[in-house]
Amino acid sequence: MSTAEQNRGLVWKDTEAELKAKPPNSIGRIYIPDRLLGWIIPVSVLVVWELLARLGVLPPNWLPAPTVVCQTIYQLAVAGDLFKHAGMTIARVAVGFLLGASAGTLLGGLTGYLPVARKLLDPSLQALRGVPSIAWVPLFLLWLGIQETSKITLIALGAFFPVYLNLSVAMRHVDPKLLEVGKLYRLSNFQMVRRLILPAALPEYIVGLRSGLGLAWMFVVAAELLGASSGIGYLMVDGEMTGRASIILASVILFAALGKATDWMMNAVGRRLLGHRAR
Amino acid sequence: MDSDSFRQGGTVDIQIARKAFVGSQGKLLALRDILLAISPGEFVCVVGGSGCGKTTLLRIIAGLETEYEGAVFLDGKRVTGTGLDRGVVFQEHRLLPWLTVHDNVAFGIAGLSRAERVAKIRHYVNLVGLDEFEYEYPHQLSGGMSQRVAIARALVGHPEVLLLDEPFASLDALTRMRMQQEILGIWEAERTTVVLVTHDIEEAVYLADRVVIMSPQPGTIRNVLPVPLSRPRDRTDREFVRVRKSVHDELFAPGSMARLALENS
Repeated sequence: MSTAEQNRGLVWKDTEAELKAKPPNSIGRIYIPDRLLGWIIPVSVLVVWELLARLGVLPPNWLPAPTVVCQTIYQLAVAGDLFKHAGMTIARVAVGFLLGASAGTLLGGLTGYLPVARKLLDPSLQALRGVPSIAWVPLFLLWLGIQETSKITLIALGAFFPVYLNLSVAMRHVDPKLLEVGKLYRLSNFQMVRRLILPAALPEYIVGLRSGLGLAWMFVVAAELLGASSGIGYLMVDGEMTGRASIILASVILFAALGKATDWMMNAVGRRLLGHRAR
Repeated sequence: MDSDSFRQGGTVDIQIARKAFVGSQGKLLALRDILLAISPGEFVCVVGGSGCGKTTLLRIIAGLETEYEGAVFLDGKRVTGTGLDRGVVFQEHRLLPWLTVHDNVAFGIAGLSRAERVAKIRHYVNLVGLDEFEYEYPHQLSGGMSQRVAIARALVGHPEVLLLDEPFASLDALTRMRMQQEILGIWEAERTTVVLVTHDIEEAVYLADRVVIMSPQPGTIRNVLPVPLSRPRDRTDREFVRVRKSVHDELFAPGSMARLALENS
């Protein structure tokens, strides 16, 4: 082992020792592990909420107890409604996100690599980005009708911009010192993109995909609230019409759970793609 | 060097009239009248203070700078751009963080069959003493180890000339001394021509057959001193100290810009 490696070993040990020596979170004398700290508030809120609902302080048609909401979800699942509506929503998000992210990747890659393409396209796209996306809804409805096309277009639009922006910027900001390495080894333009620019831009691209997916979920809610005969958003509208707060809350929880699950999946894929590189 | 007749290539003939950079302050003359001929297998160190154009000189030989008056010839052929006949190591290792040591070194070769490539990469990873780390990622390596990977990457394509731009400047003193020994070992094994740029006089005298002393504004060659010492060299030896002093005196001679810069600071 060389001294450099030994030095490294020593440095590692030091930081580990420091981490261990760090004082733990504690309130008074009670020690609380880090992982549990974040659970304190939500669990307390749920307990208080349940108690207030059971004691009749909260009217059940206004804010039903958490257990009642859980029951509603269970009933929806048993009746088959849950899978029908959730499946529809997931399909819309999937198709919309796929279209939006593909377009974002294509145009982001183009503008990131070719300065001419950036000068040509970027000002227009930035101007379009300035429009709050929900403002397109009436036009989409007018042009594309109330069926799936308008919904998917809206979702795709939401997913497009983060993907486009992150990829385009990341490709333009690759460390010129690394590009010089490519130049030294006489990489062709294609190899330059494949072996240097794309891998270097990958972390930010994945961040773009994640925020694009987040926006896709936001926009599917908007699309389904504005007129749908299926989907979790439709369940929400139905709950509102029929005055069943438990259905609305169940839908909120479903949206949150599905959004979180797909984000977790995207994150897992991203981590796999990034492999062991330094983060 | 006569003993290196088995390796034919590696002659560098530098004839740079002027090299200027155009910046916000107007034109800045970086190099003027650089005439230097380097023989195959020779180890040349270029010393000078910051801003003397030594890095620019190296970048011109590497083919990374092509806008200048004059010409550089490698084995009689004019240098017009980068090429695999020259290996370059920068002050920073410039490894690609998403590739293993093996794949980073692989960047330096093209062609060959897969098996030949793998064998060659392994050879050079071993040569720089990193056999155990072949499939590690750069962030898992120390500064000295990373720089050794960069050297392996520069050597794996069998360049005629190895160009090193202050390769050990960011390393601690002890690691630097070992790296200097290692680069001598590699040079003896590979018999490439080496041009190493440094601001460290002792490093130059320890390594070089000839020391090129540059002075700034504009960057010119002040003198070229041979180092008539056999290897391995002893840094505390009287002759070594004498050569070091003569390089030092040349660099800080009365009226030299380096001396002026020192006095003004």
